[in-house]
Amino acid sequence: MSSSPSFNLTQGTSVWRADALARPEGAVRGTGFAALDAQLPGGGWPVGAMVELLQPPDQHHEWQLLLPALARLEPGACSGVVLVGAPHVPFGPALAAQGLEPRRLMWIHTAVPLERLWAAEQALRCAGVVAVLAWLPLARPDQLRRLQMAAVGHAKLLFVMRPAQVQGQASPAVLRLYLLAALPGQLMGETQAGQGAGGGYADGLGMVLHLLKRRGPPLMAPLLLRAGPARLAALLAMGRTGASAKTQCEADHALDCTALAA
Amino acid sequence: MHWIALRLQPEPLLCAGAKVSLAPDAARLADPVTALGWWALQFTPKVAWVDGALVLEVSASERLFGGRRGLIQRLFKEKMPLAPVNRSQGATSLIAIARLHSRGQRARHPDELPLAALAAARAHLATLQTMGCTRWGQLRALPRAGVARRFGAALVDALDQAYGLRPDVYPWLQLPEVFEARLDLAARVESAPALMFGARRLLGQLQVWLQLRQQGVLGLALGWELEGARRAVMQTESAHAAGDAPGAALASGLPDQLVIRSAQATRDMGHLQRLLAEHLARVTLSAPAQMLWLRALETAPLGGASASLLPDDVPLGDSLQQLTERLSARLSPQAVMRVQPWSDHRPERMQVWQACMTGAKNATYSIANKVHSTGAIGIFEHKSGVFYPTWLLAEPLRLAVQQQVPQYQGALTLLAGPQRLETGWWTQGGRLERANAAALRDYYVARSQQAQLLWIYRERLNARQSQSHWYLHGLFA
Repeated sequence: MSSSPSFNLTQGTSVWRADALARPEGAVRGTGFAALDAQLPGGGWPVGAMVELLQPPDQHHEWQLLLPALARLEPGACSGVVLVGAPHVPFGPALAAQGLEPRRLMWIHTAVPLERLWAAEQALRCAGVVAVLAWLPLARPDQLRRLQMAAVGHAKLLFVMRPAQVQGQASPAVLRLYLLAALPGQLMGETQAGQGAGGGYADGLGMVLHLLKRRGPPLMAPLLLRAGPARLAALLAMGRTGASAKTQCEADHALDCTALAA
Repeated sequence: MHWIALRLQPEPLLCAGAKVSLAPDAARLADPVTALGWWALQFTPKVAWVDGALVLEVSASERLFGGRRGLIQRLFKEKMPLAPVNRSQGATSLIAIARLHSRGQRARHPDELPLAALAAARAHLATLQTMGCTRWGQLRALPRAGVARRFGAALVDALDQAYGLRPDVYPWLQLPEVFEARLDLAARVESAPALMFGARRLLGQLQVWLQLRQQGVLGLALGWELEGARRAVMQTESAHAAGDAPGAALASGLPDQLVIRSAQATRDMGHLQRLLAEHLARVTLSAPAQMLWLRALETAPLGGASASLLPDDVPLGDSLQQLTERLSARLSPQAVMRVQPWSDHRPERMQVWQACMTGAKNATYSIANKVHSTGAIGIFEHKSGVFYPTWLLAEPLRLAVQQQVPQYQGALTLLAGPQRLETGWWTQGGRLERANAAALRDYYVARSQQAQLLWIYRERLNARQSQSHWYLHGLFA
């Protein structure tokens, strides 16, 4: 049966065609990755909705993925970024170098799952907060739903970091991503094919991103994202290919000098 | 001149043990008489207690509230956070009071008012009545000199005042300099969270005080007296007399209290209420509480917030400061942290994550102490930061080594390095520092088998060590 012309899909935002991306309900913020923006409804991280990031144990790519977006948020009184239960100590100098002013950070350090949930919800309700990053490995779907509702009500960016094992669980998140480190060779192939001489990104600095859930057609092939600071990538590339790219790098750091000497 | 008189309605309910039935009316203030006076002060500074009634002179502030009508409407029609009151109006305070006393009848001409309603005439009421004098008008018609001789000048003066021939001057009501309110609990309260009901009433009173003083509260103390406290104090005194050690008895008899401090002056009772509730939830009472008191420890001037014309400008939710205080109250002050840059070359000392809620004085003190020992407050340097990992391990993790290759979930591949670090030697002999505080390290960027980038270092050999170890110190997340 062909679709009835009287049924207008462009009216609402909660109904969309299966072969096209949905229109976002609220505002979006650019992710800083053009390839990722193209695959997300509205072209960016949804504001006022939960984004779930799944990662295998002992792999961490959250800063690489989120820092470009967080660095773009305009500074001001209402630009707090709250970390709830981070796995390690956030290192201010590195975050500052990648554009996230460390004074905007608030780190809530607690190991109790219920306290983390409560703190995340309180942070979402706060007017001075723009983004909440929560590590909730043990949260149940109903607890996540409550967080999702709080994010909807208060128009905040909410990223929830969870282990890869919960992939089979139902989730209220509107966007679910599975992050993996790019294995050696993966990014090389991509850069050679797509970018040619503009490549030079090293293994480990990029990531493979599987879009598990989005409002739109399922994405079969994973996305390869080149992330991390360009100078670090250049340094690592030099370590691999020899000192072929001396001119790209200013020697104002000890690591630079050693790489040049190598 | 326009006077309004208010008097609290007698509450028959309060006499019986039915006080608990008032519980739903949580907005009630702790002490209705004080509260009524304070509440009236927001309309006019000329407020006084006269003859059991509260009188307000409102002619000067009529314009502010949109005319006399608007003011009266506001006074009488708006929901008052108070006990029910009777009210009346008049051209002078005494007329208003007299009308209040003869309530139930229509507002009458002053000449028609009964003499019983004039406080100065009450002593001579019987004499006046036998003279056939029961109304103000009748008394006023008598020869003035004769009345003054017969009944004293006070009655003539009062009559003049009632008719507006003499000014109404009273000891005007003033707010106390320091806020302190007590509340005797009607029923014994056995659990600390249940004290919140009484605390809410005290906070309501504090809010009125703060509004009128145009202050915000920086610190307040909520205390309670336990049932056994008075007895314990008495015991202590007797123990003193007997020459016993008073320590134990004193400790149990001390009135408990909670002190709450805020970094920003606030008048937001909802926020303070939540903070108090968080703290009370962790308190256990050793005995039922009898009495509750609230004291403002520190206040600061606080102007009113100006409203915005645009609806979008109003921020939703509470401020970052309030969030910090609430989180610190529930979790612990150490659980809510902010980062402070530090000028040092050792990565683990480049930043200090410290609790947001350390008092300002304490923070500067501790920083000043640290400056002497290690370095100075720095700023995060943007240029070289890209070579640092975004996660730092709180404690460097020692890595196993196989065939001189460090292992972390498989053999690691070294990608870049070494970055040589040799610093901190000056702390070596320090009394408080660990012996190995001096950092002699070679940092490398390594890749694990799962392609995660790691930041590892090898301790360089010094004279005392025979073998160097590898440590994991950060993750490029």
